[in-house]
Amino acid sequence: MPDLGRAALIVCLGLAVYALVAGAFAAWTRRRRLAESAENAILASFLAALVASGVLLSALLRHDFSFVYVWRHTSLELPRPYTVSAFWGGQEGSLLLWLLVLTGFSAAAVLLGRRSAPSLLAWTVPVLGAVTVFFSFLLVAVASPFATQAAPADGLGLNPSLQNPYMLAHPPFLYLGFVGLTIPFAFAMGALAARRSDELWVVITRRWTLVAWMLLGFGQLLGAHWAYVEVGWGGYFAWDPVENAALMPWLAATAFLHSVMIQEKRGMLKIWNVLLVVGAFALALFGTFLTRSGILSSIHSFTESSIGPWFLGFIGVVVAGSTALILSRLPLLRSKTRLESPVSREATFLYNNLLLVAFCLTILWGVAYPILTEALRGEPVTVGPPYYNFFLKAFGLPLLILMGIGPLIAWRRASLRGLGRIFAWPLGVAVASGVLLLALGAGSSIPGLIGYTFCVFVLASIVLEFVRGTRARQALSGGSWAAAFAQLVGRNRRRYGGYVVHASIVLLAIGVIGSSAYDTAREQRLQPGESMTVRDYTLTYRGTTQERGPNAVELRALVDVERDGDRLGTMRPGKNSYPAEQQVSNESAIRSDRLNGEDLFLIAEQLEPGGPVFLKALVKPLVNLIWIAGFVFVGGALIALWPDAREQRRLALRYGRAEALARA
Amino acid sequence: MLAVFLVYTSIAGGTPQLRPSELNGRTGEVALVGKVVGRVTGDARGNGLRFRLRDVEGTSAVPVVYRGSVPDMFRTGRDISLKGELRNGTFVGKPGTLVTKCPSKYTDKKQS
Repeated sequence: MPDLGRAALIVCLGLAVYALVAGAFAAWTRRRRLAESAENAILASFLAALVASGVLLSALLRHDFSFVYVWRHTSLELPRPYTVSAFWGGQEGSLLLWLLVLTGFSAAAVLLGRRSAPSLLAWTVPVLGAVTVFFSFLLVAVASPFATQAAPADGLGLNPSLQNPYMLAHPPFLYLGFVGLTIPFAFAMGALAARRSDELWVVITRRWTLVAWMLLGFGQLLGAHWAYVEVGWGGYFAWDPVENAALMPWLAATAFLHSVMIQEKRGMLKIWNVLLVVGAFALALFGTFLTRSGILSSIHSFTESSIGPWFLGFIGVVVAGSTALILSRLPLLRSKTRLESPVSREATFLYNNLLLVAFCLTILWGVAYPILTEALRGEPVTVGPPYYNFFLKAFGLPLLILMGIGPLIAWRRASLRGLGRIFAWPLGVAVASGVLLLALGAGSSIPGLIGYTFCVFVLASIVLEFVRGTRARQALSGGSWAAAFAQLVGRNRRRYGGYVVHASIVLLAIGVIGSSAYDTAREQRLQPGESMTVRDYTLTYRGTTQERGPNAVELRALVDVERDGDRLGTMRPGKNSYPAEQQVSNESAIRSDRLNGEDLFLIAEQLEPGGPVFLKALVKPLVNLIWIAGFVFVGGALIALWPDAREQRRLALRYGRAEALARA
Repeated sequence: MLAVFLVYTSIAGGTPQLRPSELNGRTGEVALVGKVVGRVTGDARGNGLRFRLRDVEGTSAVPVVYRGSVPDMFRTGRDISLKGELRNGTFVGKPGTLVTKCPSKYTDKKQS
């Protein structure tokens, strides 16, 4: 069995080398047949990766401890779902998942590309081949998941903190997102290498970026929720280097998804867009490198492994190669049009891009700062959450307001009078709610108040867009409001899907602001029978209970919760002791209010049976909107992604000629 | 301009990261990284948790006193980091800054 896995990986490497070399030669000499065989090599590499993954999966399920990987990351008593999740619980397995997703996406890109843009594939295939060569080489030569040994009786088991349902979803989503960014990169490089000056690659790349971006965004929110409910410090994002590593490519991809529209509509920002695509891919690689190299100390823990230098080298090759290609194609990338006015749709897109990229660079700087200072001054200096939070406010609040302005403002040149007419409603609603919020006491946090006022402004302008569009459609075609609304969204999926995503970002902002700017924390030592208050909750410590769970002793503090004289129930924060692993884990208790989205979060520290407790109580207003935002986000992205036959025909008309020319 | 801005904030807001052997008479807030050795005594809520922190690879150690919340993974033998400053030969930790690390295994999960 391990031989089959090793062989599959070697075959995968061989196919990737063939796709790279034969594909490049075919594209250079314009040999159609050879190019098709290189495409087929990409398809076959997916099958090879599938076989290798099958071997590892079956070894995990059979508890075959003669595989070093299986022995190191599972044990006989580990529940089955976590045995499967051990596939990506370790270094070699997670690299194999990279390869599987990479070849899967590449194969899909080849199959779809054959229909929509066959001529673009010529140089795209060798780029895909090159990335696959790198990953399959690592798996063959540096970090093989198929190393064997004389089988021990039992395995070492999976880290208890990874034995969590989120382990099944969070890492795969992140991988899908990270790896998905390879495809836009390959198409961008492919189009440049083929000296294509049309915008077809942009259209294809946009859809692929949207897919990767959606998965990456959702994966990050899953991780945030995992941290919130399980880790028990009451937060969901800590600006840890590894969290930042996932956020950076997402920000770059967000910038690209916006600026790409300027290129499609106005033929501007071509160089910028290529740079963003390269940047997003390089940051995804950098993120993987950070988590594997042990170069930074993070709360997330990793072994220092041998693959760090390989990754660094590969990032260097990617950045140097794509920069050289862009420089050699600069004449092709010149804009045909110029920015006509600083008050226009394209200008707001430009501001949005500058802010997103500035924020991305801020995070990159913060992450790299310890490395830089160690190199320059001999001791690493870290920057903490205050640094990031400052820039989140400095760049995030303007981004928020732009989200309300951008979609409404006219292309090319907007007149000030027109602006007044468009924004009268949203502005009025926002100012009125700002005053109302101030009266309700939201002035305790000025950034919070500003943020909420901006949120209302954006929501009002989104609602206005939907109302106006529906009304126009109804006037045009008659019928009911609902039918007109469905038609509106169905015929402009990209636009209205985008608005839904904007609405989800507003929900996210409301949740983040509520839970960070308006939260309350109280900490008190309580004897059994004593009470404390936090906001309008009264918490009474009744005593402890102790139970034996399957593999842990579960000690809980019983805390009665009351609000305005109403009994809301009993919460049970406490701790689990795992005798086998000699480990204690804090189990926080969370009570979510369905009506106002507020959480009461309890942490019991220093708890002993029957003794006093240090009760830490956090009230987090509106925090649940963050999780709801995740689903709205995916919904909006899916609306924007859903294939639209009308748009396909329009594109075929526009690019059909370019395709025919390039193929001739 | 952005770079200047960033450099400025980083210098104003950064915390140097040191090993116990580098602490030697240093004043001001630093982040200390090391391995917990010997017995852990005291109470993180009362007079403070007391333990010694040694270089992860090395022999010099420094006594530490810490008050505040303690992560689940904390115990003798673990690698930890915490912020604080040196006072009269004892490193006094800042509440809520103690973070454990577990470099023995590749995992993708928070430990604090």
